[in-house]
Amino acid sequence: MKDVANFKDYALLSYHHIQGVHNIDIFERAGGYETMKACFDKDPEAIKEEVKLSGLRGRGGAGFATGVKWGFFTKDRNAKKYLLCNADESEPGTFKDRYLVEKNPHILIEGMIISAWALGTQRGYIYIRGEFYQQAVMLENAIKEAYAKGYLGKNILGKGFDFELAVHRGAGAYICGEETALISSLEGKKGQPKLKPPFPAIKGYRGLPTMVNNVESLAAVPWIMKFGAAAYKQWGTEKSPGTKLFSISGDVNKPGVIEVPLSTTLKDIIEIHCGGMRNGNKLKGVIPGGSSSPILNAEEAYAVKMDYEDVASKGSMLGSGAIIVLDETRNMGEVLKWTLEFYHHESCGQCTPCREGTGWLDGVFKRRDTGKASKSDVALLDKIAASMRGQTICALADAAAMPTQGIIKSFRDELEQYVTTTTKK
Amino acid sequence: MSSTTEKFEFTAANMEKYKELLTRYDDVESALLPVLHLAQEQNGWLPPHVVNYISNLMNIPTIKIKEVISFYDMFYDVPVARNVVQVCTNISCSMFGGREIYQGLLKHFDTDYLTPSRDGRVSLQKMECLGACEIAPCMRVNNDFVGNITLASAIAKLEELP
Ligand SMILES: Cc1cc2nc3c(=O)[nH]c(=O)nc-3n(C[C@H](O)[C@H](O)[C@H](O)COP(=O)(O)O)c2cc1C
Ligand code: SF4
Ligand code: FES
Repeated sequence: MKDVANFKDYALLSYHHIQGVHNIDIFERAGGYETMKACFDKDPEAIKEEVKLSGLRGRGGAGFATGVKWGFFTKDRNAKKYLLCNADESEPGTFKDRYLVEKNPHILIEGMIISAWALGTQRGYIYIRGEFYQQAVMLENAIKEAYAKGYLGKNILGKGFDFELAVHRGAGAYICGEETALISSLEGKKGQPKLKPPFPAIKGYRGLPTMVNNVESLAAVPWIMKFGAAAYKQWGTEKSPGTKLFSISGDVNKPGVIEVPLSTTLKDIIEIHCGGMRNGNKLKGVIPGGSSSPILNAEEAYAVKMDYEDVASKGSMLGSGAIIVLDETRNMGEVLKWTLEFYHHESCGQCTPCREGTGWLDGVFKRRDTGKASKSDVALLDKIAASMRGQTICALADAAAMPTQGIIKSFRDELEQYVTTTTKK
Repeated sequence: MSSTTEKFEFTAANMEKYKELLTRYDDVESALLPVLHLAQEQNGWLPPHVVNYISNLMNIPTIKIKEVISFYDMFYDVPVARNVVQVCTNISCSMFGGREIYQGLLKHFDTDYLTPSRDGRVSLQKMECLGACEIAPCMRVNNDFVGNITLASAIAKLEELP
C-alpha cells in the first residue's frame, strides 16, 4: 500500500513520505481530515478529556500539559474566544515547526479545527515568524483548500459550528514567540510581553479568552483523537508520553528533524538518527533544548534520555527539542558569546534586570574583544546571571541566565581562558 | 531620500488585498502588521510618507506605527536595496563560518548593515537564528532560504541578482 499514512511509527510525520501531501486531495486520500469529521460527532468536552488523558505536553518549550491548559478555558460556547497557533519558532536551534508545516500544512489545520471544536473558538490565527515567508504562503494555500471543502468558515459540514482561520506573519522579533508578546504583536503593537496573571486563557487577544498552543502540540491532536490517549501513551514515559520532534544541528553527519518516542537516548539520536559525529570527532557537549537550555557535557549527553524529567535531572531542560551538538573542536567561550549576543539583541527592554543584565553579560565579551576582560569576569557573569533569574515579566531573562550558568558550571576553566585571550592585536 | 512631496498609495491590486486583510480580523489595528508587510512589498521600505498614508487609511496614529516599525527587524525605516539578504550569525551557523561569511559579504559589497550596495542591488542584514539550522550556515535572499553556503558561493549567488 502506497501513499497511506504511516500512523504506526509516527504521530506527526505520519504523512511525510507521501509525495505532494500538502495538497488537500492527496492528504485526504491518505486518511487526512477523517478524524476531524469523526470529531464533529463527539462531545467537545470528551475531546478535551481525551487530550488530557493522553498526557500531551505543550511542545513550545515549557512542557505544560495541553489538556490541563485547555481545562482552564471557559466552557461557554457562545463567548467570543480565540485559538492561536504559535509558529513563531525563534528559539535558536529550532526548526521542527517549519519542517512539519512545509511538508504537511494540513495536519496542523486538521489539528486546529478539532481543537477549535473542542474549545469552542470561533476564530484562529497561525502566528508565523516573518522569515518563514514561503511557509506562510503554503499555509495560506492549504487554508484556502480547506475553506473550499467546507472545513473552515461558517457552519462547518452543516454542524452549526463556525471557525475562521488565517495566517498572521510576524516581522523578525524572537520575543514574539512568548505567548503574551505574540498576542501584543497580533494586536498590531510592539511585541512586548505582559505580566501574568491574567493568563491568556482568561484574558488574551483583545482582552478575550485566548488559547495559545505550539504547532507541534496542535498537530498531535488528530493522531490522539484517531487512536486514543492509551495508544499515544505506548510511546515515552508516564510523565512524558508520546513522540517528539527534535531539530538537530551542529557537528553531526546528518542534521535535520526527526520524530522519535520521548525518552529516546540522546546517544541513539546522535549515532543512529544523525549518522554519528562529523569527521568522527569526539563529542564535547550538547545543548539539548534550544539556546536557553544549559549545556550538557559529553558524559551527561551520552547518559541522558530525551524526556522532560530525565533532561531536567541532568540540570537542563527539553525545551523546544532543539539539539545542538558540539564536538571537541568547539570553544565553549565562543558558544556563550554567540548566545549572549542573541539575548542582548532580543531583550524587549521592559524589565531592568533583563535589559541591563543581558547587556552586562554580552558586555563581558565585548570587553574581551578589546583585551580588557579578566579571569574574574567569569565570576561576574555568574553573579549577573544569578541576579536576573525570576525577576522579570517573561522568561527571556532566565533564558539568558541559565545557559550562562550552565557553561560556567561545566566548562569554567575553558571560559576563564577564553575571556582572557583576545584576538585583537 | 523621502520628502513630504513623495506620494504613496496602494496599487489597485494591493487595495483589494488590503480590504481582504481587514476581513480577517475583528478590529482594524490587528491588521497593522500584514498591512505594513504589504506596503513594504510595494515600496521596498517604510518611509514617513508611507507611514502617513497607512495612518490615514487605518486611522492609527503615525507615532504608533513608527514604534511598531522600529520594533521589528524586518520592517525597514531606512532605504534598502532591491534585494535584502539576511545572514544568520546564531550558534549553529556561526559554528560553520556564518559570521565570517557576513563580514566577507560586507567587504565584498563595500557596505555595512542594511546600507544598499553602491549599485543598489543588495542590502545585507545580520540576523539571529533563521530557523533553518540544518542547512547551516544559511542566509535568506529576499523570501528564500539558501543553505550550506560558503563566502564564495554566497557571493556567486548574490552576484546573479538583478
Ligand atoms: C522568550 C520566550 C520565547 C518563546 N518562544 C516560543 C516559540 O518560538 N514558539 C512556541 O511555540 N512557544 C514559545 N514560547 C512559549 C510560549 O510562551 C507558550 O508557552 C507556548 O506557545 C504555548 O504552547 P504549548 O503549550 O503548546 O507549548 C516562548 C516563551 C518564552 C518565554
Ligand atoms: S524579561 Fe526581558 S524580554 Fe521579557 S518582558 Fe522583561 S525585558 Fe522584555
Ligand atoms: S543558527 Fe542559523 S538558522 Fe539557526
